[in-house]
Amino acid sequence: MTNINETSIPEFEGMFDPLNTEALKDDVFQTSPMGFFKESFLRFTRYRVSIVAFWIIMVVVFLAAFGPALNPYGFNDQNVARMNMPPRIPYLEKMGIADGSRILTNRRASGLSDLTVYPPGSIMEIMNPRMISGVEMVDLKVNYYSFIGLGDEYFWFGTDYLGRDLFTRLFRGTRISLIIAIFSVAINTVIGVIYGAIAGYYGGNVDMLLMRLVEIISGIPQLVVFTLFILVFGRGINAIIFSFVVTGWMPTAYLIRAQFYRFKGREYVLAARTLGVPDRLLVFRHILPNCVGPLITRAMIAIPGAIFSESFLAYIGLGLQPPEPSIGVMLSDGQRVLLQFPYQTLFPAIIISALMISFNLFSNGLRDALDPTKRGEF
Amino acid sequence: MVRYVSGRLLAMALTLFIIVTISFAMLRLMPGNIFENPDIPQVVREALNAKYHLDKPIMVQYGYFLRGVLADGDWGTSIVLQPTKPVFDILWQRIPVSMHLNIVSLLISLPLGMLFGILAALGRNRAPDHAISFAVVMCISIPSFVFAAVMQYFLCFRLGWFPIIYRANQVGWEYLRQIVMPVLALSFGPIAATTRFLRGELIETLSSEFMMLARTKGLTHFHATVRHALRNSLVPMVNSIVGMFVGVLTGSLVIERIFAIPGVGGIMLQAINALDHPVTIAALIFYSLVSLLSILIVDLLYGVVDPRIRMGSRR
Repeated sequence: MTNINETSIPEFEGMFDPLNTEALKDDVFQTSPMGFFKESFLRFTRYRVSIVAFWIIMVVVFLAAFGPALNPYGFNDQNVARMNMPPRIPYLEKMGIADGSRILTNRRASGLSDLTVYPPGSIMEIMNPRMISGVEMVDLKVNYYSFIGLGDEYFWFGTDYLGRDLFTRLFRGTRISLIIAIFSVAINTVIGVIYGAIAGYYGGNVDMLLMRLVEIISGIPQLVVFTLFILVFGRGINAIIFSFVVTGWMPTAYLIRAQFYRFKGREYVLAARTLGVPDRLLVFRHILPNCVGPLITRAMIAIPGAIFSESFLAYIGLGLQPPEPSIGVMLSDGQRVLLQFPYQTLFPAIIISALMISFNLFSNGLRDALDPTKRGEF
Repeated sequence: MVRYVSGRLLAMALTLFIIVTISFAMLRLMPGNIFENPDIPQVVREALNAKYHLDKPIMVQYGYFLRGVLADGDWGTSIVLQPTKPVFDILWQRIPVSMHLNIVSLLISLPLGMLFGILAALGRNRAPDHAISFAVVMCISIPSFVFAAVMQYFLCFRLGWFPIIYRANQVGWEYLRQIVMPVLALSFGPIAATTRFLRGELIETLSSEFMMLARTKGLTHFHATVRHALRNSLVPMVNSIVGMFVGVLTGSLVIERIFAIPGVGGIMLQAINALDHPVTIAALIFYSLVSLLSILIVDLLYGVVDPRIRMGSRR
């Protein structure tokens, strides 16, 4: 085809000016086209809360990976000479937080100068002097580390009833929690995708049978499955992951099944089938990619659930074999001495709460970012 | 309706049968149970055989076990915790305590959760909604045992408002005071779950056309929400009660331990740790039964609330 501008028609010669061919009436796209994931990522970066949550998760993951190696104490170094030490953190101790202090009540005032009992520098504050049957008694705030002669040790989060360093134990426990959560969720996702895809794609009697089976299995309370699995297979990491898989894959299967019901009747699937694409490819190449967004969201929501379940099981004594630490075990040990040594409950409680809150906020942001109905919204 | 109910009952019976079977298999096949001890004297062994039919094949044993449970209500006897005491009696004393706590918690959670859900939906994207949503994330994320520990330390120990642990045989005011903490610790999660669910449902319903009609014909915002939108949102909410009830029941396992409440959870934990399997299994079956019953009740409720299900069409 010849360009109309270059065509000259003799009888109209000179009557018309050609349009300015350089000027385009349409705006040229200034931006390159954007894929679903890139757009989702951009949308996600606008959720400030979720970004903060993401970085909190990263910090906890970092501490879980390297925390136990940050100080010289092993997770199972028992030493009764240093049991129930209060937390003491360098730098912070100068501000009066976590300074390794403990209140000793009802001490004789006359004994305070005895350097064998109170080494120099161990007494921080003398409080509440009073006379009890003719003897002057005081309460003391001492630096407990100097008091028992461990002046240059630092147990950041204190020690437990066996003298084990709580910082090391806490982050080793967090590490195990995270590993269990990630593995169980990954396996759940794979099983749920396959099961849901088969049920949703084939439909009919296959679907009916598979879904009845799911209904029966989901009628068994999680607690019952956990207890039976762990009693029978022992308290290994595999038994715990396995019991999480048995109870956890069903929501993913429901999700994928619903998605398949939605997409399998679309024209593009029909077109692909007409072209002779085999079932396997139809399922994995043509329909499944539509489910990726909800799938990621679902998996992210499942992770805090798995972390909670793990610590719950450990709390009730069904967790990993001691001396392996777990946040749940530490909380349950801390509960016994809650009224005397609240810090033993405080740190595990903070870490598990931070982890759960962050994962929930992060997955909320991810859910909104990956929501296909919000395409183009910023 | 009859067909629907019978279908539900059949599924429930099948699930229960599977649970009982697995539990029984565990009891007999688990390594290290008392029946395998080679030092048992001949007399005791014969007594055990007479009681548990250990010399018969496993299938026959299972038949005897089922007949014992179904016909005589015989769940076996405790081995370690309270030897020779029937398991049924041990549990029977503790079930009312646990159930009481759980039902009170649920009765508090549902209205409160609905109230917060309505408030959040009405004040959508404004301060009340943000505040409630923040609290919801907190309450859903923080485990109940952390709440319990924090409240026990500050409210019970430091401030002394409530008793630190539960004492049996309290009545009246003292009794109320001591169940406040455990019930609260159990309720935070369900309240938050109800709030979140109802908020989502309401917001979806509020933008529908019949709500526009309700507003157009002159109903106030509040009136339209409560009279028209809420009813519509209650249908799917009925279904979430099951999960909540089972969750509360599971959570009470730990809460009972923290506040030293003599419920089923405590005896189950003791039984697990002492390897007293008959008690463990009876407790597990109790939990399964309660959970299945709540599923059944909710399914029936669902049938009552939503005619489409009653008439037999697929959900």
